Amino acid sequence: MIRADGLVKHFRAADGTLIKAVDGVSLTVHPGEMVGLLGANGVGKTTTMRMLATLLSPTAGTASVGGSDVRTDPLGVRRRLGYLSATTGVPDRLTPGEVLASFGRLHGLEETAIADRVASLVAALGLASCEHRPCGRLSTGQRQRVSLGRALVHDPPALVLDEPTSGLDAVGARDLLDLLERMRSEGRAVLVSTHRLHEIERRCDRFLIIHSGRILDERSRDELAGLTGGLEAAFFATLARGDDA
Amino acid sequence: MSDRRRWRAIRTVMHRDLLEFVRDQRTLFVTLLMPMAMYPVLALASTLGLRTALSDLEARQAPRPLAVALSGPDATAFAKRIETAARGEDGKPDNWPSGLSVKVCDPIAAQMLIDEGEMHAWLHLPAGTVAALDGRETVPLEARTSAVQPVDARRQEHIVAVVQAVARDARRRRIAAEGLPASVFEPVSLTFAGGPKAGGGASMDGVLPTAAGGVLVLLALLTATGAFYPAIDAIAGEKERGTIETLLIAPASTGDIVAGKFLAIWAVAIVTLLVNALSIAATAAVLVRFIPAGFNLGVDAPRAATAAGITLVAFLGLAAVAAAVCLAVTSGSRSGKEAQNTLTPVILLVSGLSASALLPGTGGTPFAVVPFAGQVALARDALAGVAGGTLAAHLTISLAASAVVTWLLLRAAATAIADEELLFRGPDSVGSPFARPAPRRRPTAMQGFAVALIAFASLWYAQGLAVEDLVLAVPSQQAALILPLVAVRLWQRVDRRETFGLRLPAGSRWPLAAGGGLLVGAGLFVVVAAATLALRGTHLSAAARELAQRILDLLLSRPWWLGWLLIAVVPAICEELFFRGWLLAAAAGDAPERRRAVAVVFLQAAVFAAFHLLPERMPQTFALGVALGWMTLATGSLLPAILAHLAHNSVPLVLARYAAEGHGKRLVAGDASNLSGWLVVAAAAATLVGLCLLAACRRPTAPSAPDAVGRH
Repeated sequence: MIRADGLVKHFRAADGTLIKAVDGVSLTVHPGEMVGLLGANGVGKTTTMRMLATLLSPTAGTASVGGSDVRTDPLGVRRRLGYLSATTGVPDRLTPGEVLASFGRLHGLEETAIADRVASLVAALGLASCEHRPCGRLSTGQRQRVSLGRALVHDPPALVLDEPTSGLDAVGARDLLDLLERMRSEGRAVLVSTHRLHEIERRCDRFLIIHSGRILDERSRDELAGLTGGLEAAFFATLARGDDA
Repeated sequence: MSDRRRWRAIRTVMHRDLLEFVRDQRTLFVTLLMPMAMYPVLALASTLGLRTALSDLEARQAPRPLAVALSGPDATAFAKRIETAARGEDGKPDNWPSGLSVKVCDPIAAQMLIDEGEMHAWLHLPAGTVAALDGRETVPLEARTSAVQPVDARRQEHIVAVVQAVARDARRRRIAAEGLPASVFEPVSLTFAGGPKAGGGASMDGVLPTAAGGVLVLLALLTATGAFYPAIDAIAGEKERGTIETLLIAPASTGDIVAGKFLAIWAVAIVTLLVNALSIAATAAVLVRFIPAGFNLGVDAPRAATAAGITLVAFLGLAAVAAAVCLAVTSGSRSGKEAQNTLTPVILLVSGLSASALLPGTGGTPFAVVPFAGQVALARDALAGVAGGTLAAHLTISLAASAVVTWLLLRAAATAIADEELLFRGPDSVGSPFARPAPRRRPTAMQGFAVALIAFASLWYAQGLAVEDLVLAVPSQQAALILPLVAVRLWQRVDRRETFGLRLPAGSRWPLAAGGGLLVGAGLFVVVAAATLALRGTHLSAAARELAQRILDLLLSRPWWLGWLLIAVVPAICEELFFRGWLLAAAAGDAPERRRAVAVVFLQAAVFAAFHLLPERMPQTFALGVALGWMTLATGSLLPAILAHLAHNSVPLVLARYAAEGHGKRLVAGDASNLSGWLVVAAAAATLVGLCLLAACRRPTAPSAPDAVGRH
């Protein structure tokens, strides 16, 4: 469902230095699977996810979502993908209902379907109490739930979520991850990145550890279960190996 | 994607943005409240000012009492003459005093009286003065006023009126003494018959459109300002809030997103325009009630209605261009603050362009295509009563030009909105704004823009302070252009060779490029002058005639080489270093792709034309700027452009020097009406040959950088 093959992204700084943000990332996320993309800050997680979401164009390599290639069919990718990042915001002067409805229209939903979809998302995300309040007046958790609703409004088969629990309290993070598990169980492919390893250790099916723009390690939940120290130990061991290399 | 789905996406973006705008207090203030309050306040302030000025004028013009002291042996007799003259005046003249008192006294008392302010003037009348009045000579009289108590101008007019009355009385006596009839000094008597009596008020015909020009410029500026905050909010604000990403991952093309945002901003600009227009109309209706009866405005109701209609339609195009300009500029900004800083000069540009329509010599078909200026000129022409057919043609041209400019700007915005650098990357380094930057090959676009702005201001001041003599005026103007450039170049440490194209074109074939430049420059002057003549006619403004006369005076009164040096050589070098060197290099960057190259050639040509400050010369300078920009980019060298500029400026000087009497000035001003058709054909052929030679000397396209990255 989500596939990347040898993805590369280079930037050039003003002084002419070449920055290799992503340097040959390959990954696959199958329908009904939730995969965690883990790494320190600045190792290429967000850049990889932005390429999958068609916000950045790859310097080399290919990627696709639901069979649509990010280069040749970006609109197809966007129809099949729900994307959320820590930096994506919500319009301050629109209400959650208006935000969800406008993105429903952008995704081509019919007006009658939009009303039903918005109502079900508002209920599922616990936004009923603030549905008609401007987003600028909402708490961080409520805004993040509106963002998630925006990413889900067109009922996409694939989700790419870049630090979705950032800024949420423990309860908010737990509710959101519960929701993602439900999405997974409904057959969606979910790629999620986070720095809170303990949150996703028991929820993701697989883990990809990225360092210096490359995937250095891949473990399944079952493999981690037999490992002393679990995900955290595997993560730090991989980083140490990456630094040595 | 189907058209229906695209249109739905555009409408959704527009609706979403409009909702945000109407909930933004800044937008509401600029759109609705400011125009509603501004025009009445402006009108009230001007009415009060005008009323005070009129009251002052009235007070100054009101007759005052006059007291005159007379001394000397004939004082009493002269006093009687004054009394007789005052009685004999059929209708008192305008400057007659409200009351007249005459006192006969000795000179010492008279001096005291005027010094104490009791008398306003003193006339000393020696013996024989009155007898001389009845004779045949002119009698010299001296009215003395006090140095301690100076007499005001109005009372001086009263003294003149009284003495003139005495003189008229003396004239009547002299005529009677000669036995002549009174009609001997009134050979003609004129009365009006037939038509109705003209109104007592002055006519404002011709004055009103000029006076309304200021309001039209304000209307253009406020319409553009209406797009200001929405544009910042629509792109830069979304980047700041992180919501632009959510739009870019929706299944809509960047073109559709930009179109939706444009429609929302345009709608706000149109509402701003309408509210401003309504406020102007209401204010004007109130002001008309205060105009004195019989005062002729010079614009009747049907003409005013036509002008209002044409203005509104033309300004719809202006609002579209304003919305697109603001959108394109803010698309290149990372934050609201950056967008605000970048938009401020744009508003200055809009003001300058709009106000340029009020300069003498503006208007006509070529001017109609200029954004902001064209619409203001069109509205002014409609108010001035220009023929309907001409107005309709200019309106069509203006709307078409607005559509093209808007479309180009939206294309630029669509490219910039998804630019990865602008979307996700902050500054690469931080430092003091005065820190000297690292050496680089070419100036940045911002450096090019900043130097152009400094040079324009510097040229403006130099022009204002310039002496009449061109021998000093030309070097000071060129220095105003080049000195800011030298200072910035030294500070910014750009590569001289790369920036200013200091290399020979086409290697060993450089003579071909040089010849091509000379032919293009010389031929283009005649061809464009002939084309301008065909389009605009032979009318020249007073400013153009005056400049031409000064150039001609320089040519004829000084050595020929001095005129050539000042008018052709110095501008060819200085202006080419500035426009085709610094500005073109800054705008084009390294190896520009075709579309960008075309855009920057036209952009620098427009700036080049604007720097010449004389609107009627702009078509000529714009065409020259395009040719010079193209040849510089094509050959990679400044030499052909310098030679072309030199030849272009030399042609009218050579022709004027040997032209028939009276034709020289027109030639220098760019009017080719006295040139033969064969010369125009020869010039066109020379231009073509020159272009072919230059095309043959084009440098090979630079290979792209091996690590270049970008959207695929």
